[in-house]
Amino acid sequence: MNRRWSLAVLAAAVAPPAAAQGPAELRYGTDPTGGAPFIYKPPGSGGDDPYLGFEVELADYLAKKLGRTAVPVDGLWKSLPELLDKPRAGDKGIDIVLNGYEERDDLKDKYAATDPYYVYRLALIARADDPAKDWADFRGKQVGVLGESQAAVYAKRLFGEDHVSESDDVANVVGLVQQKRLAATVQDNPAAVHFVRNNPDLRVVGDGRRPGAYVAYARKDDPDLVRRLNDAIRDGFRDGTLPRIYRKYGLWNADQEGLAHRLTGEWPEPVDQEEVGADTARGDIWKLAGQLVHAAGMTVLLAVTSFPLAMAGGLLIGVGRVYGPRWLAALLAVYVEVVRGTPLLLQLYVIFYMLPKAVPWLALDPVYAGILGLALNYAAYEAENYRAGLLSIPRGQMEAALALGMTPATAIRRVVVPQAVRVVIPPVTNDFIALFKDTSVCSVILITELTRKYNELYNFNRDLVVELALLTAGLYLLMSYPLSVLARHLERRYGTAGGHR
Amino acid sequence: MIRVSNLVKSFAHPETGAEHRVLDGVSVEFARGQVAGIVGPSGSGKSTLLRCITGLERFQAGTIAVGDATLSGGPTPPPTDALVNLRRRVGMVFQQFHLFPHMTAQQNVMSGPVYALGKSRAEAEATARKLLDRVGLLDKAGARPAQLSGGQQQRVAIARALAVNPAAILFDEPTSALDPRMAAEVMRVVDDLADDEAFQATMVIVSHDVTALRRVIDTVVVLVAGKVAYSGPPDGAPAGYLE
Repeated sequence: MNRRWSLAVLAAAVAPPAAAQGPAELRYGTDPTGGAPFIYKPPGSGGDDPYLGFEVELADYLAKKLGRTAVPVDGLWKSLPELLDKPRAGDKGIDIVLNGYEERDDLKDKYAATDPYYVYRLALIARADDPAKDWADFRGKQVGVLGESQAAVYAKRLFGEDHVSESDDVANVVGLVQQKRLAATVQDNPAAVHFVRNNPDLRVVGDGRRPGAYVAYARKDDPDLVRRLNDAIRDGFRDGTLPRIYRKYGLWNADQEGLAHRLTGEWPEPVDQEEVGADTARGDIWKLAGQLVHAAGMTVLLAVTSFPLAMAGGLLIGVGRVYGPRWLAALLAVYVEVVRGTPLLLQLYVIFYMLPKAVPWLALDPVYAGILGLALNYAAYEAENYRAGLLSIPRGQMEAALALGMTPATAIRRVVVPQAVRVVIPPVTNDFIALFKDTSVCSVILITELTRKYNELYNFNRDLVVELALLTAGLYLLMSYPLSVLARHLERRYGTAGGHR
Repeated sequence: MIRVSNLVKSFAHPETGAEHRVLDGVSVEFARGQVAGIVGPSGSGKSTLLRCITGLERFQAGTIAVGDATLSGGPTPPPTDALVNLRRRVGMVFQQFHLFPHMTAQQNVMSGPVYALGKSRAEAEATARKLLDRVGLLDKAGARPAQLSGGQQQRVAIARALAVNPAAILFDEPTSALDPRMAAEVMRVVDDLADDEAFQATMVIVSHDVTALRRVIDTVVVLVAGKVAYSGPPDGAPAGYLE
């Protein structure tokens, strides 16, 4: 063993366990698909390249003041606060939510909010060639917003529910405005500044409205953390760190001067905005392809681990429904109907977010929760396949086995089930292929699989949308086609040879 | 030996719900080594009687005893142990063969010894090959049922029934799904068993093929409308049932 290796082994042996390093990190929940200027990657950056954005720099600054290192934990924007309901330890545990979250009473009831770190206004973005002069000119037209944001609340009040379209993806809404499919969009001014700067065909119409404050949220039982974050925010305004970060992204304005005065009691030095150019870099499709392939690995992992569980569970449920006592059959029928009749998305949500609130030790890591959710969901469908298979086996088969002196359980296991399993090879394969695509639903519980990775990449690489979409579709096809081939092989091998005369 | 006493079996009519007695107080006895035929018009309860003896049908009253295994009729289902105990003493050959399509001929014959009696595979294989040889199908040991003719399938089914070494073997219309040539093949196997002094199992055959039946049986039961109309030597049977 060479010397460097021996040192590495020694270091690994004496290193404290990972959990003990916990307090050295400031883990913050954020949704990178929300995009610039909050948190993003420059076009063409690879999977390991660091994030950019004013909140990323803010988090780095806050962590440094606390003597920690900032670690972004990515999740879906809408459900970020719920990560605070889960323990900090574990794969996706966080200390704070820091991602353009407004000061909201419903959230402050459940979580502790810091002082504001930024004051935003709602801005109306329209096409540059639109003659409109003010908000009033868009009455009666269709306006897009980010779902569940303050912009959505305000736009609905102003324009009426029917004239507001909601989406989870800011960049998509902006794209629809560019394509003239929406008249305008209401966005927080940081997003508006970014999109207008990078898209000369867009402009801000009228004045900003309805100021609001971005705050970070923490657990209520962690007052010390909130106090230290508040100190850090105040110090940051006082020593010029926050103004410098905001200027760099074109976000420094009179509202922030007012905020600084409110928090510190002093007026900040008057400064000018930094000159910020548009992002012009082009993505390297091959570098991005590597990231997609990597994410496809997660898709494969989810599918190949959950489907065997679904098959085993489905077989047990199917056998229970056909041969079990009446009470068991009824219970299993209820299971199948409930699971088939409710969306997978909701089930994953229950398993990952709601179950741990009732049963704390069931706080599963996302991947385990995803595998469990997919397995439980698909077990219901497989149960119906197997039930159909079992019912298709002639009664004489069971009778012949019983007449030989087999117990009913042995007859089911050795005679009926092996035949039923062969009969249902085609529908079961069909479900396996469907499951591959359903793994994308796991993105709601913070798993980055192929579809979510595609969403993330195309947010940062709008010029490569077509290439990325084709690559993603191609990867799904590449994963499912071998399954079709395998299924045909199994059918030839077992399906027909076992046919009845 | 088989002893059936006062067996009552009734079905509820699927539409009217009216009770229909298929077997109405049947009492018969078959001795060890005896070859018995059961004849009678269609619907007289012949197949149902066999299915009761092998524990595939529940019955309302009476008892069935095969060797030291007994089963009594009644309103509650009999315990699984009692059923399995009875079935292990009785082999059954069905009209439609009911071979297991996912197994080879040899695996079909081995299935009883291995899965019902818990014999080792080696022992079951030796038994299976001996029995396949006896029914003239050793060369088809590796064939699946779908690759065999009807007559061959029924001969494998007979070997399968024999493999658990039953005290009695019941044949339910073993040749009626077969053309005459294949039926003859199967009856040759039955003849051979009937003639074998060393083979001491009771054989009960339900068949419409009275010519073939007469050749092998030494006693006959005539069932008419669920009642025993005659039981005794074939020569004494009422006219019209055995010719």
